[in-house]
Amino acid sequence: MSKIIGKVAATEKIPTTIDEFYFWTDKERILHPFDVVKVEHLNNSVTFGVIEEISHITDATSYLTSFISSDFGDVNLEANTHRVGMNFVKAKVVGNTENIYTPVLDGRRVGLANQAEVGTALGLDKIEHPLPCGYLEMYEGEDEIVLPVHFNSHFVLGPDGAHLNISGISGLAAKTSYAMFLLKAIQEKYINKIDIKPNESAAFVIFNVKGRDLLAIDESNKDLSKQDKQIYEMLGINSEPFENVQYYYPHFDDEHPNTYAQKEDVKYQIDQNKAFKYKYVYEYDRDSLELLFANIDDSTGTMDSIINYVLTDQGNFGNIRNWSDFLGEVDEYLKPGKGGEITVMSWRKFKRIVRKALTNPLFAKRISNEDNETRLRDSINHIRKNDIFVVDIARLDEDMQSFVFGDVIKAIYDLKLGQAGEQDDIPKKIIIFVDELNKYASSDVPKNSPILRQVRDITERGRSLGIILFSAEQFKSSIDDRVKGNCSTHAYGRTNAIEISKNDYRYIPQVYRGMMTRLKQGEYIVQNPVFTSPLNIKFPNPIYRQFPNG
Amino acid sequence: MGKVLDYLASETKGTCYKSHRYCFDRVDIPSVVYDDKQNIIFSRSKVGETDKGFTASKSLGELAKKINRQSKPLFKFFLDGSRRTYKVDDVAYNNRIYPIVAGQIGVGCCIRENPDSFKSFAFENYSALSLPECANKDNQPNELFFNSLTTKINDLPGLKKRNISLEKILPYEDRRLKDDEKYEQKGIAKIQDEMIESEKRLVARLARERKLNFDSYLIKDGSLQYQSSKGGDLKDLAAIKSNYRCVVGVSKSFNPELCLDQFNRSIAKKIADLKLFHRTPVFKYMTERSRGVEFSVWYLRIRGINRTVSPFDGVLKIEKILVTENEMEKGLDSDEIDLISANLINECFPTCYGSDNRWANHLYPVYLTETFIKSKYLSDVYFLNLF
Repeated sequence: MSKIIGKVAATEKIPTTIDEFYFWTDKERILHPFDVVKVEHLNNSVTFGVIEEISHITDATSYLTSFISSDFGDVNLEANTHRVGMNFVKAKVVGNTENIYTPVLDGRRVGLANQAEVGTALGLDKIEHPLPCGYLEMYEGEDEIVLPVHFNSHFVLGPDGAHLNISGISGLAAKTSYAMFLLKAIQEKYINKIDIKPNESAAFVIFNVKGRDLLAIDESNKDLSKQDKQIYEMLGINSEPFENVQYYYPHFDDEHPNTYAQKEDVKYQIDQNKAFKYKYVYEYDRDSLELLFANIDDSTGTMDSIINYVLTDQGNFGNIRNWSDFLGEVDEYLKPGKGGEITVMSWRKFKRIVRKALTNPLFAKRISNEDNETRLRDSINHIRKNDIFVVDIARLDEDMQSFVFGDVIKAIYDLKLGQAGEQDDIPKKIIIFVDELNKYASSDVPKNSPILRQVRDITERGRSLGIILFSAEQFKSSIDDRVKGNCSTHAYGRTNAIEISKNDYRYIPQVYRGMMTRLKQGEYIVQNPVFTSPLNIKFPNPIYRQFPNG
Repeated sequence: MGKVLDYLASETKGTCYKSHRYCFDRVDIPSVVYDDKQNIIFSRSKVGETDKGFTASKSLGELAKKINRQSKPLFKFFLDGSRRTYKVDDVAYNNRIYPIVAGQIGVGCCIRENPDSFKSFAFENYSALSLPECANKDNQPNELFFNSLTTKINDLPGLKKRNISLEKILPYEDRRLKDDEKYEQKGIAKIQDEMIESEKRLVARLARERKLNFDSYLIKDGSLQYQSSKGGDLKDLAAIKSNYRCVVGVSKSFNPELCLDQFNRSIAKKIADLKLFHRTPVFKYMTERSRGVEFSVWYLRIRGINRTVSPFDGVLKIEKILVTENEMEKGLDSDEIDLISANLINECFPTCYGSDNRWANHLYPVYLTETFIKSKYLSDVYFLNLF
């Protein structure tokens, strides 16, 4: 037995069980929730436990005892003897070396585990198809151990399970950084064909939703510390930035900048032929009109009727070639008696919604390939293995962000379903990362929202199609149940007390919930079907260029 | 199980009755039990300290504060003994019925190195039986007979399997009882004496190992007035009193009727009226129990009377054996008494309020020692069923 830190205590009122046990330890012994401990058990086996709660008790029967013991409230009293006290620790049983799951016995010695034992206890030593997801730090001082943690990629990217959801409050949780860390590990795994079958391939579509966060992911992070580089090395990931990156900026003009990227940077990237400006052209993109209504409550279905009216080329809509003519035609229906069964009021509402969007230069007459302009749908149709498409939607208003997101999702779906024509070199898996999922799949989004429908489709059926969703949001509780319920892997970053009081966190032990409000930046609690217990992991700083001011 | 008793009955040619078994200490008998002993014989000069002029009480609060600020606590070791006695059966010899008394004895000493380190230093616990002397039916010496019986009982498979053994079988007198006497009390007294012997052995060990010195005193819970016993390794306190140079006996309860001054007047009221952190003068006396040994005794109030439920709550009776000839002649050095008293004041917090009704008179390290010893006992149900 390595370092002994206490002994199991089984009492009449709190017995040890198959699932958990308690042990006492010195009050000055520093332990943390998620630390692994081991206990000697029957037949020379060892039972492993993960610490869930740590309490300190003394023999004081009440607060009054404590008050009286301080000379009836004298705060300056220094007693010769400090009240006898100890810490008692609740640990959840996570395994036994001989698969003996009878409760551990009273008085058995409890010790710290070594690196290999921690791996065994947490099921990290038998992970197939490993995909680095961070590292663990355990114990303090000379006992400290650090070990890399891997997901089983088949439970993140399919076929056994898919989709990742990351939650945590803005800034402190570093959700984007964590998703990018995982994407980096995945891209490297696929580029280097590590544990990848020859016919397997993956591409990535990433939405930039904040500032310039992801607009330079193929440039190095010059501030990456030596320590971070060592961690990347330990995890088997190189510390070079992403490869094969293409940036898609919304088309802009002076009146509508549409992106937070510096003009020079965009120009530089365009010159390098790694950036494009996307546009929507009426002739090809009018089918996506319904996406502008994703967040509009349309319980009577009138907006749906109008969209249907337009898409079936009724009236004069079949002859129109551009968005301004389209708006002009809509104006016609505002005149009494023109709209048939659809009331003028409904047409007015329709126009109000589309006009706001269509004034954006994003909606243009045509595409100029020479100027690196493109339709996102066309680009998506040509995505190839190991490509990373970064679609910038950060500066678009919320409805437009939904529109672009919905359009890209739809394009990927169509591509994988063969709607875009049969192609041999479509990547087997397309991994989509989107932050602020609550904008598209919140539990408040109207249930008939086409975007919500698509997101649900991806989480429910995307695994078999090879569409994997990595999503992030501030508050998991606000996300549609079907969407989050279908994610096989969950990462919990720093959150707040109100959030952890919600139902989503009911099955997480109280101490872990408490910890979620204290997690540091770069620290996550992750749940994956292959782990025997939630893990408290850390990950290094991003390998790509960071913009200090966003 | 019953096998120990069956064997005992057959080996001593008696009859066991499978009577109701119970723990004496769990039977509540309303009585006042004092820590100190009766029958005090006053010494010629009853002033037990060098400061002869001091008759009223003396405040030690300031000295206690000064010691607390400036130096380490005087007391480093804490000793307590405890026994739990049981009636396990009745046995008949010569048409008379005698109880079989069993006991668990625990004596422990804890050491305090610093406020956070309180550990067991020495500990003894064992089980013993007490039988009437007539269990030994022939003229074989008692010691031989009962030792041999102990060995035989310890060889019984029931005890061996549980890795439990009896340390001793102690014979109690089977003489005709006086009106208010019971054989049970005689059996219990034997177990009590055995515990005291064990305490003495422990003090002797501390003295032998030179653990006790003028910077490391021992507090012994209860009185130091040990009875001179016929048996035991350390028969006479007078012979071993040098072991007690740095030992202080602290009694939580005492009989106020026995508190007399040099003019044989009761000082019970003076004790009751003692102000907080005041002590009485020291008295010197001998007891019938420990002839040849002189004790110095004083009283110290460690809790304010407004915090306690009776006037003697919060007052400790402190005893120290007078070891040197100088001490016996002139009394204990008043400075040492003040030092001991002030250090005892510094031991009065924290308290065991809520856990022990005697909290006002209990010193926390002593309470911890007592709790430690009691935690080592076998449960009553388990112990009673061993027989």
